[in-house]
Amino acid sequence: MSEGVVFNIQRYSIDDGPGIRTTVFLKGCPLRCPWCSNPESRSFAPQLFYRAASCVVCGTCAGACPAGAIALREGGIDIDRGKCVACGTCAGVCVAGALAVKGEKMTVERVWKVIRRDAVYYETSGGGVTCSGGEILSQPDFAAAIFKKCREEGIHTCADTSGCGTPEALDTVLEYADLVYFDIKHPDARRHAELTGADAEGIWQNLRRAAGRKIPIVARLPLIPEYNNSAEELENTARLVRELAPEAAISILPYHKFGESKYAAVGMEYALTGLRENTVGELEAARAVFIRHGFACEVSK
Amino acid sequence: MPERVDKQEIKSVRVLTPRLQKLKAEWESAEPQVYVDDTLLFTESWKETEGLPVDIRWAKALEKRLLECPLLIRDGELVVGSLTKFVRGNGTLCAMKPREILKMVESGKFDRKTSDISSTRIDPGDLKALREDAEYWIKNMPRVSSVNASVAFDMGEDVFDLLFDRGMVFEGRGVRCEMDRGLFQNYSAYGGGVAQVSAKCIENGLNHVIALCEKERGRMLAEGDPNSHGTAQFLRKYWLLKATIISCEAFIAYAGRHAELARRLAGEETRPERKKELLRIAEACERVPAEPPRDFFEAVQCVRLYHLVCWKESSDRPEVPIGRLDRMLYPYYKRDKEAGAITAQEAAELLGALWLKIRECENLVTIPREQRAAPGSLLPNITLCGTDEDGNDLTNEVSWLILEAMAQIKLSEPAIYIRYGENTPPEFLHHALECNREFGGGNPAFLNDKLGTQRYLDRGVPRSDACDWNASGCLGYHLDSLEHMGGGHNISQLKVFELALNDGFDARTGKQLGPRTGDARAFTSYEQVREAYYKQLEYFVPILRKFKLLSWSTEIAEGPMSGLRVAMQYEDCIPAGLASREGGARYPEGRACWLGSRGVVDLADSLAAIKKVVFTDKKATMAELLEACANNWDGAEELRRLCLAAPKYGNDDDFADEIYDELSRRVPEIMQAEPDPLTGKKPLLFIGAAAGHVGIGKAIGALPNGREAGSPTCDAACSVSPGMDISGPTAAINSATNDCYAYPYAGYAMNMKFSKSILNTPEKIEKLGWLVKAFIKRGGWHVQFNIHSREELLDAREHPENHKNLLVRVGGYSAYFIDLPPGLQAEIADRTMHEMV
Repeated sequence: MSEGVVFNIQRYSIDDGPGIRTTVFLKGCPLRCPWCSNPESRSFAPQLFYRAASCVVCGTCAGACPAGAIALREGGIDIDRGKCVACGTCAGVCVAGALAVKGEKMTVERVWKVIRRDAVYYETSGGGVTCSGGEILSQPDFAAAIFKKCREEGIHTCADTSGCGTPEALDTVLEYADLVYFDIKHPDARRHAELTGADAEGIWQNLRRAAGRKIPIVARLPLIPEYNNSAEELENTARLVRELAPEAAISILPYHKFGESKYAAVGMEYALTGLRENTVGELEAARAVFIRHGFACEVSK
Repeated sequence: MPERVDKQEIKSVRVLTPRLQKLKAEWESAEPQVYVDDTLLFTESWKETEGLPVDIRWAKALEKRLLECPLLIRDGELVVGSLTKFVRGNGTLCAMKPREILKMVESGKFDRKTSDISSTRIDPGDLKALREDAEYWIKNMPRVSSVNASVAFDMGEDVFDLLFDRGMVFEGRGVRCEMDRGLFQNYSAYGGGVAQVSAKCIENGLNHVIALCEKERGRMLAEGDPNSHGTAQFLRKYWLLKATIISCEAFIAYAGRHAELARRLAGEETRPERKKELLRIAEACERVPAEPPRDFFEAVQCVRLYHLVCWKESSDRPEVPIGRLDRMLYPYYKRDKEAGAITAQEAAELLGALWLKIRECENLVTIPREQRAAPGSLLPNITLCGTDEDGNDLTNEVSWLILEAMAQIKLSEPAIYIRYGENTPPEFLHHALECNREFGGGNPAFLNDKLGTQRYLDRGVPRSDACDWNASGCLGYHLDSLEHMGGGHNISQLKVFELALNDGFDARTGKQLGPRTGDARAFTSYEQVREAYYKQLEYFVPILRKFKLLSWSTEIAEGPMSGLRVAMQYEDCIPAGLASREGGARYPEGRACWLGSRGVVDLADSLAAIKKVVFTDKKATMAELLEACANNWDGAEELRRLCLAAPKYGNDDDFADEIYDELSRRVPEIMQAEPDPLTGKKPLLFIGAAAGHVGIGKAIGALPNGREAGSPTCDAACSVSPGMDISGPTAAINSATNDCYAYPYAGYAMNMKFSKSILNTPEKIEKLGWLVKAFIKRGGWHVQFNIHSREELLDAREHPENHKNLLVRVGGYSAYFIDLPPGLQAEIADRTMHEMV
């Protein structure tokens, strides 16, 4: 039975495809987008997640940690990420529920046991299952196995990907996908590499490849002020999608800071602190660009 | 087939016209004032009718109030009929609770600044009159008439006191809060049975009812009455029919008095528009309730008067359901609209005017807020939609307008219930959720149309009647004009559980209240704990049954039967010559044997914690856990954490849900083990809900689910304990609907909370609609959504542990509120406030 690393299974997901869905978040991503709202999704390994706001600074965790990775300080704890092996001992003793381990190896069977519980909701809402990440192309066999099981049971599937992976991985995953959400981060290959740390060409070839599969594609553009929202960048993005996946619909994702506090929780720094959010006018202007290029385009709200 | 509804027109109505804005503002800013005229008239009448049959006395007391009470028609009012002569008055009847009222009088606690009970002021002259009135009733209240006194006599005062009052094994207004009640103490709405706004009476007119009574009385004298002659019942029937005539005629005369007043005001009126309105009001009040309404205007006026007169008669806790108002009003609306006599806008304003009049009715509150079953609620429930006997959906344009009126006028009452089923139009569900969002707190609620009808079918009620149920009381339901709904007495399952954990001993009173079921500290298996609980329950259920039977019988023997309520169910009660509560209703099963329980969620979570922590993980012994509970977790924080972390109901977690499931099967089995002696059928059950969970919580110590002593218990039968549903709404609904738990019960409600921002687009509203659909499809009975407020968000910032499940949305993302950075939390809280009006 195929296994994968999962950091969350979110039931009643209502923003990751049509209807009520269960979204399986796979852990681990080759991209390093600074606006990422799920920093805990990057590493492939399990990570200790520390919600400082909930911490009552009792020190129980520090005493319990077998690796000696936790030190009590004024108003909270310090975690030595070099020593921490994410064994979860501390989370087990945390009175306040401030500590948790994110990321767990799961079999498809185990994931399915969660998915199947909401079958009636998929049915009444036209929903289904979305595999997201992290990056699903990094765990293609696992994602494909989940989709295959869903298809056998008549449940709609959606692959939510950055497109970063081998063509084989893409084929494997899309074999059982009914819908693809494909992220477009930046239309300029050099800038793309600077921002995300990943090669754009391979991703774009994957978009072309996905477009050839006759399944609906939604190209999703996280609209980040100062990073990819200039008139020129938008124009080029529209042209790029027109060339690679002319039938795709476009979904604009407004920038949000929901992930900010999670960076500290996994011992990372948020690079975009202080960045403004999109204005309504800006979102509408971006939408107009894609409409002008003949795309169906919506701003996700 | 459903009629086409002009949604555009509905959505464009403005319910709060300048006139209604003014009336609403006047009412909201007026200081509540104690109104004494009715209680004085009641007492005066009672003195005058000494020696007459009790049913006649009751009818005459109503008659005197209706004929002599002061009337009020405020400037600008379109729908008339005021409970008191004040813009905001609080009615009361000393005969119902003289001691409570005297206590208020003596403590001087009428001032809103000093009283935690009431926020009402009183005129000094009225205060004196009220004192004398209360004293009269205390002096003249026959001891034997006290239901509690006679039952206490039979059971032993001490036992009674322990079980019902101090021990609070049994709870509910029906028992505990009536300890101090007066003459007809259970003659409040529930105890006396719900008096509803009867669609049948409105449609046929009270002149028709009077004629039927006359005819029946004539027949009795001419031919005798095979069912009753030669017995005391013959006489009682004869007088009850007379009481019915008196009540109906008084009601008609009361409307007539409004007509006279309106004509007089019209004569004095200089503004031609207002003059016309007053004359229109006069015409309506000359017509209804004697004869059927001729148009929508008269029908709305008629509903108002029914609600008001039922309220006055019920007098203490009037819980007057309005029934299926969309169905009742639609024929008039349709006819008027087709004739060009009314627009949706005009109809909406009339509904708004009706809402104001309904909400205005308030009685003096004499018991502390937390002891009341539903503080702040007067339960004038309105039921919409549903299906007819052929399964056709009955949603109509008035259903749409009623919701729109509710959402725009933003009054706490009336509460709207939608009978939702697979045939309810999707766009109506959408409309309902939009209105829910505008309204905020759980209004409208959704009931399972099919399940409601099925319950009646299974009781042998033919489909033509079974499909006519509506919401009533506190999460109850009944058949309009056909059924009697008696009062509810609850067993506090948590108290029973506490006794099971303490070998039947109650630490709070220091008495052995229950049977000895073993020292729980020495229990070696989860099953032993569970069985001890069932044994305790088996011991207490017959006591509750006995109390119910004796109290009901005493009321029948001693109390008056209501002629007004005979009129409401005239088809059945007149030929039988019996009031609905004594068996005159077509379906009388509910009259005495509603058995209630409360606390199943905390109980299930507590059992799950014991099973997990003590018997599965062996992290603590029973003795340690019970000691921690006895000390309210003091010094046992670690154990409390383990208990809190144990599986909880509401997360689609089989460990906890299996326990909940088992309780949900076994408890009804125990409570229905013996048939109702009155009907030979299974007693009907309900789950106490609403806000009584605060009151019973006070009598319960710390529980193994991690709950602290004295804190509120979970608020309803299948809501998840606050902050414990961390797996999302589908998981919560699954836990609540794994099996058809709701089937044997009334009141099986689920409250869910959502943020206002989760409903800010039509697409998102549709997403909430899917949950309603799935909930009903899975066999759930009652679901309602709280669209949370800023206060809740602020509290979530202070106490994140209580709000783990709070979902919010900003931009293209939904998140748990507690995961957000403080700045964003503040921003969302502020923004939500801006969204609320």
